[in-house]
Amino acid sequence: MKRVIRLLIPCLVGGLLLGGAARAALAASTFVFGAQGEPVCLDPAIITDGISSRITHQIFEGLTKYKGATTEVVPALAERWEVSADGTIWTFTLRKNATFHDGTPFDAKAVVWNFERWRFTKHPQHENQLKAGQTFEYYEGQFGGFDDQSLIAKVEAVNPTTVRFTLKDPQGPFLANLAMFTFVLPSPAAIEKWGTESCKHPVGTGPFRFVEWKPNQEVVLEANPAYWNKAAAPKVQRVIIRNIKDSSQRLAALKAGEIHGMEWVNPDDVRVVRADPNLQVLLRPTNTTGYVAFNYKVKEFQDKRVRTAIAHAINKRGIVNALYGGTGLVANQFQPPPLWGYNKELKDYPYSADRARALLKEAGFAQGLKEITWEDGRKEPLAFWYMPVSRPYYPNPKEIAEAIAADLAKAGVTVGPQTIDWSAYLDKRKKGELPLYMLGWTGDNGDPDNFVCYFFCNPGASREGFYSNKDLAEVLLQAQKLTDQGKRAALYRKAEQMIHDDVSRLFIANNQPPLAFSKKVKGYVPNPTNTEYFNTVQVE
Amino acid sequence: MGAYAVKRFLTILPVLVGISLLVFSFVHLIPGDPAVAMLGERATPERVAAVRAQLGLDEPLYHQYWIYLRKVLQGDLGISVIRGDPVLADLMHRFPATVELALSAILLAIVVGIPVGVVSAVWRDSVFDGLSRLVALTGVSMPIFWLGLMLAWFFGVELGWLPTGFRLDTDVTVRPVTNLYLLDSLLAGDARAFLSSLRHLVLPAVALGTIPLAIIARMTRASLLEVLSQEYIRTAEAKGAPQRTVVLHHAMRNALLPILTVTGLQVGHLLAGAILTETIFSWPGIGLWVYEAIQARDYPIVQGATLFIGTVFVLVNLCTDLLYAAVDPRVAYD
Repeated sequence: MKRVIRLLIPCLVGGLLLGGAARAALAASTFVFGAQGEPVCLDPAIITDGISSRITHQIFEGLTKYKGATTEVVPALAERWEVSADGTIWTFTLRKNATFHDGTPFDAKAVVWNFERWRFTKHPQHENQLKAGQTFEYYEGQFGGFDDQSLIAKVEAVNPTTVRFTLKDPQGPFLANLAMFTFVLPSPAAIEKWGTESCKHPVGTGPFRFVEWKPNQEVVLEANPAYWNKAAAPKVQRVIIRNIKDSSQRLAALKAGEIHGMEWVNPDDVRVVRADPNLQVLLRPTNTTGYVAFNYKVKEFQDKRVRTAIAHAINKRGIVNALYGGTGLVANQFQPPPLWGYNKELKDYPYSADRARALLKEAGFAQGLKEITWEDGRKEPLAFWYMPVSRPYYPNPKEIAEAIAADLAKAGVTVGPQTIDWSAYLDKRKKGELPLYMLGWTGDNGDPDNFVCYFFCNPGASREGFYSNKDLAEVLLQAQKLTDQGKRAALYRKAEQMIHDDVSRLFIANNQPPLAFSKKVKGYVPNPTNTEYFNTVQVE
Repeated sequence: MGAYAVKRFLTILPVLVGISLLVFSFVHLIPGDPAVAMLGERATPERVAAVRAQLGLDEPLYHQYWIYLRKVLQGDLGISVIRGDPVLADLMHRFPATVELALSAILLAIVVGIPVGVVSAVWRDSVFDGLSRLVALTGVSMPIFWLGLMLAWFFGVELGWLPTGFRLDTDVTVRPVTNLYLLDSLLAGDARAFLSSLRHLVLPAVALGTIPLAIIARMTRASLLEVLSQEYIRTAEAKGAPQRTVVLHHAMRNALLPILTVTGLQVGHLLAGAILTETIFSWPGIGLWVYEAIQARDYPIVQGATLFIGTVFVLVNLCTDLLYAAVDPRVAYD
């Protein structure tokens, strides 16, 4: 027994010593943010993930940016701009006092260099990326392709502070595109120096400079003392973005005071954070919509009465209240409310199982709907597909699918919830093999075009369940080519009404992703496009 | 002994080939196109084609395996699809963190587990024995994930004694030499960094070490009890040898064999347990790395790390067997 005691004593002493070191208080001049994973790359032109862009957005700036908590486009490295009457020539006047972190000046040449790098596949700093298996996905997506396919036909340095863009066709979302996280401007000298290693050596003009990236651990930034915009100079000296994969563990680190803020709070944990007197919840304005889509090769779904019945059958309010941790909103159209093309006048199909049953009866399904018939004659029980992974628009896809299935059952529609591996799911959806399925969209640039056109501008696409509405596509393509926001907004409102009237697709919910912070943190402004800036953040 | 070692070494070769076959084939067993899976919903067809080509997915299977094997033998584990870094270099960079954690865990398990087992066996059915058996049973059945979360919440959040994750405080740095931070901070003579890394190590090591600790304690107890009932022990006792000598010199030597085997197996399991522990405690070793790679479907990393962990497991077992033979010469003549 003596031996046991002899063992216990050093253990206790050690414990006390370690305990004595106590909770390390974070320095007030440092802002520590808990991210849900490791960044992929810090070259903004290549990345597509939010974890990387959260970091690059502190280091780099673009010509334009989104203002505060909105998707309104305001000047950034461009002081102002003008557009020609036909909407094809944009002239930007640049800031005179901005410099890159490596000391090279920011000027019109630097802008031209970057756009040429993104556009031309033979540009040495483009070609090397292709060889390394990377591409400039967003440039291709937003500007119609590379080389001759690019919508941007020419970018010229008129003088050191003036850049002129010539477009092949007018593009409505042009300024919003330029504000995207990916079209911020790196130092040409740095990219030329580091080549494909630029991912690990980001050099921009922004309020923070890159210090270090410790793999699987953290990225460290420091305030840029030479930042051109003195009014927006950082309020903290250092920023550390730590990689804490597990969401419960991120919350533990926040509660223990090891980090100041975090994102991707579990829906169930939102209440925990709200109940903690030292913590606060901030909601990111919604920019994401979860929908249920029909396959129009299914004969039953070609009948609008059946689609309307299903629209009436789903209790969206109940789903949002029960399964979104208090951060969801009921959706009645594709665009989320903060978008300027949102149609406020639109009236949703009210929840009513009786109305749904009546409509089904009218359509010839008095006994309910259990089995579907594909156009080629195949009959099968109606499967309802849900995604195997959680997305911002559907944080608990399985539970939501079960709730929808239960609602449909009450109206006489029997569906079997079903899922499969994520890649197979996307593949089946692309090929148009899913009869009725859940999916959603998170907006990239705050422009309605990005939300609606991707889905409805290609009538009959297998990816969209073969839905074909040429009038709708025409309205959307017309809106894409205008530069007057007022005229465009009217067209998007019209498009939403058309989608609604045809019951083309059912929109279930918008989510406002929650962020949790220590109450010591002030000045964090969540933005719908995830482009959030740490220079406004203060730690008391 | 030499011949035995060679014989044992030859038997692991088919196992290694088996591992490589398994690792190679699981990319093809997953439904859907691996390239689409990796790149997600917005991937362009060109990019999918590029990744398919990079992974060699368009070649016939046997040819793909042959290329894969040849590269592996040359030390080329491929390139991360997501980050473009060579898998082997990343693996080597992250492995020391896992080694530090696993060694601490197994050390903890041995240093605590064996004495507890010995005391339990010697004072069989005492209060201590009952208590330690209960704790060991709980320890064996405890999911690491749950234990880790509870440790972090209790010692990190409620008491605030120890950090909930990471290897160092935000304002401490260690100049990497071996990437074993305890060792590096000692080499640098930096007491603050040493204490910081030690404090960060405690909870993950306890979380990871608990199951092996419980298994080792149970095995020590059972094995020692069996040996203690044998006749040569009675002879030693009859000769008047003190109890300490009987237990530690006569009995332990024979009781050690199964303990050794179990400990060897635990080292392998620790590497698997490290995936969970590292994820919970944001410990930047290969466990966390693999977990992220699985989520991102970065197959070259998953393949490389699985092959590596499998090989380490096989080699540790080989060492255990050789050690076994060293402790008990009878083994080699089987």
